[in-house]
Amino acid sequence: MGDGDGPLNEPRWLSWAWTIPAAFLLAFLAVPAAMVVRHALDPAALDSLGSLTTWRIAGLAAAQAAISTVLALAVGIPLANVVSRYRYRGRALAQALLTVPFVLPTVVVALALKQLLGGGSGFVLVVLAHAFVNLAVVVRIVGSQWVQLDGRAEVVARTLGASSWTAFRTVTVPMLRPAIASSAAVVFTFCFTSLGIVLLLGDASTRTLEGQVLRRTSVLLDFPGAAALAIVQLVIVAVVLVLGARAGRAAQQPMHARGLRPLPSRMLARATVRATALVAVLLVLAPLAALVVASVRSSNGWTASWWTMLGSIDAGTTRVGSPLEALRTSASFALITAVIASIIGGCAAIAVLGHRIGRVTAVLAIAPLGISAATIGLGTLLAYGRPPVDLRGSGLLVPMAHALVAVPLVVAVAAPALRSADPRLTQVAATLGARPTRAFATAYGPILAVVMVAAAGLAAAVSLGEFGAASFLAREGSPTVPVQIVRLLGRPGEQSLGSASALAVVLTIATLVLVLAVDALGRRAQGIPSWRSAS
Amino acid sequence: MFNISFASRTSAISAMLVICAALSACAASPQAGDAVPSSASPANEAPEPGSTVRLLTHDSFVLSEQTIADFKAKTGLDLQVVTAGDAGSMVAGAILAAGQPTADVLFGVDNTLAARAIDAATFEPYRPAGLTDLNPALLPGDGVLTPIDYGDVCVNVDDGWFTKAGIPAPSTLADLTDPIYRDLLVVQDPATSSPGLAFLLATISRYPDSWTDYWSALLNNGVKVAGSWSDAYLGDFTAGGGGGDRPLVVSYATSPPAEIVYAEDPKPTKPSTSVMTDGCYRQVEYAGVLAGAANPAGARAVIDWLISPEVQQDIPLNMFVFPARTGTALPQVFTDFAAAVDKPLQLPAADVAQQLPEWLDSWGTVMGR
Repeated sequence: MGDGDGPLNEPRWLSWAWTIPAAFLLAFLAVPAAMVVRHALDPAALDSLGSLTTWRIAGLAAAQAAISTVLALAVGIPLANVVSRYRYRGRALAQALLTVPFVLPTVVVALALKQLLGGGSGFVLVVLAHAFVNLAVVVRIVGSQWVQLDGRAEVVARTLGASSWTAFRTVTVPMLRPAIASSAAVVFTFCFTSLGIVLLLGDASTRTLEGQVLRRTSVLLDFPGAAALAIVQLVIVAVVLVLGARAGRAAQQPMHARGLRPLPSRMLARATVRATALVAVLLVLAPLAALVVASVRSSNGWTASWWTMLGSIDAGTTRVGSPLEALRTSASFALITAVIASIIGGCAAIAVLGHRIGRVTAVLAIAPLGISAATIGLGTLLAYGRPPVDLRGSGLLVPMAHALVAVPLVVAVAAPALRSADPRLTQVAATLGARPTRAFATAYGPILAVVMVAAAGLAAAVSLGEFGAASFLAREGSPTVPVQIVRLLGRPGEQSLGSASALAVVLTIATLVLVLAVDALGRRAQGIPSWRSAS
Repeated sequence: MFNISFASRTSAISAMLVICAALSACAASPQAGDAVPSSASPANEAPEPGSTVRLLTHDSFVLSEQTIADFKAKTGLDLQVVTAGDAGSMVAGAILAAGQPTADVLFGVDNTLAARAIDAATFEPYRPAGLTDLNPALLPGDGVLTPIDYGDVCVNVDDGWFTKAGIPAPSTLADLTDPIYRDLLVVQDPATSSPGLAFLLATISRYPDSWTDYWSALLNNGVKVAGSWSDAYLGDFTAGGGGGDRPLVVSYATSPPAEIVYAEDPKPTKPSTSVMTDGCYRQVEYAGVLAGAANPAGARAVIDWLISPEVQQDIPLNMFVFPARTGTALPQVFTDFAAAVDKPLQLPAADVAQQLPEWLDSWGTVMGR
């Protein structure tokens, strides 16, 4: 696809697509951030920009994030291969399971990893935790592109005598480059701006700017300093994302939506796929098993107490919300977020196909990843939490904050795949007399369907597990499940660890159900049969 | 074709400009400090029945539903409780919104943050009639904030561990640097945890000129620094249920009764932990009327209610802190197991506000964090 104007018969609305994400970013990112900066603006803040500590922390965080990203890619790419491409019993479950670590509150992941690895903290533990949590990002983004790859090129290379490693390296990797670059940029950003895991598992070697922003905001009440650091972080993240987008731009070969394929016929290859899938499942299941055990243990031995009390915990107090109620809150936020984020992120990704403004918007839509949760949370509260614009009663503030985190993921999944779709199909369809919109749908519809489902699943997952910006937003009513888990973990007594673990297991199951449902829906939309109807 | 797409692009841009203008007009119109109705209504005016009053507080705020229902029945006010993260984040939000608040009254600003919030004109003055019924030691004397409850941050001890090890539990801050207690203590990072900060302030209060030496000694004696209270207590503490290996942890004087209340049924008769009553730092939580509140009379009614005997009695078992009102009857589990701290450590609020950044920097330097 050329860099100039789109194909001759691009539908008229394509040049409008960017306005929707742009309006959303303006309203829920630019305005809140401006509110914080405006309240915090102070020339003295510039001091911390020049401070050596600031740049030392930025350097440490960058090193940590780079290593975490490499590890997540090293483990995630093989997993993406086996859980996204082949058709076999349990594939959908394996894929859903891999999403779970991304969704669990960081405090739960941290406690589970600590129990599993026997305590400790520091650089290695933080890197492991980051790779573990972000596997889902790599698997989803790379997987959604890999499933569309035409495997014939690799077969040809093998036939010509290339080893399977050479064929993978020289044929498959270049074709996956947009997705790998895109997921690497997102994972790097998540690790660079990490807060919860760094707080719980880190030490002096794993500080992040995000942590310093929170510390200056809510401990030191040094808002100018916090704003200055937040800006440094944003600039660094913006550079990374632009580089990621650039690296991902040139796809080697047009792709068409394709279905899952049967397992390879050779015994060894077949066993390798199965074994890798098993490793993936075990990798996720081990920390989850620690949670399940914690939910049925007490000092008196095995117990069902923590489960039986889930419905009545804190009954009669303002510590509102049975877990069931929290689950309902979380589920409705997740659905609203998935819809909002898919529409907005989808438009941003489509805008890439349009003109320059569209491409700029798509890159900007990834920017929320780099803005600190404290900034977004406080800014949203300042902008929309009081007259004249008081949205708190509308129930929209939390899903909007969640969508802000989810939109970048939708763009990261959808944009590389759409970019590598074959634009010639549009021309072919147009030649055959299709109107521009119809021609566009013919060319991009199938791929759009695949990637949007993957993206909606990720967006819903983000919402289910989000515990950053939204915790700053003053609100009434039942808390979300992660917020409730963290509250339970805030007090002494066996009950807190037991019932928090039980609730984390509930969140895990809810995630699995949700992700399986979204994936199944997606298969129906694409007409890709599930393993059941296929075998 | 080209003309059409050009036209649509122009109209898209103009649509964006309209949205832009509308949004920035909405968002930017009122500014903090522009028009703070310093005293929108006289302090003795009764709240308008049926009006809504919003209470901004932190995630740890809990009372019985009955207590809230009684307030609504008695005053006719519709009380909305809005939570906004932990105390620090909640107060930060209130300070940024000073003069144009998101609620009418705030509960949960403590003595480490109070001075900063007052300096930023977050509150308007109010002296409830019931002030004289409160513990005089807790009164800030600023005429702005009203103390509601207090708690002491102290080192907690796993008694069973020390019995088994055959060594006496430490009893003073100084003991913690003794080599027989090597690798036994876990504290929280003062930069990220409220009890962690309180413990740092306790050491500064005890050793004003040599507290960095004290921390070097703790470091040499193998102190562990955790990121949060949950991480330290539930993860590293031997009696916290997480299989930790440290029998000494910074927590609260009320953690032992909480161990009983939140234990599995049948409840144990006594907790397995106790409190080291030396070197405790006192945290006081205040409430205040937010400057520029839409319903200041309602806000004052909420503060009067928070120090009423009914709420004060409801506080201990819900929030595990002590009521500020003198003579409030405590629940049995408190009188039996909560530590009474005779000489809590405290630092003047103004000193904390002024020197905190420097203290945290020095602490970070000593601890290599």
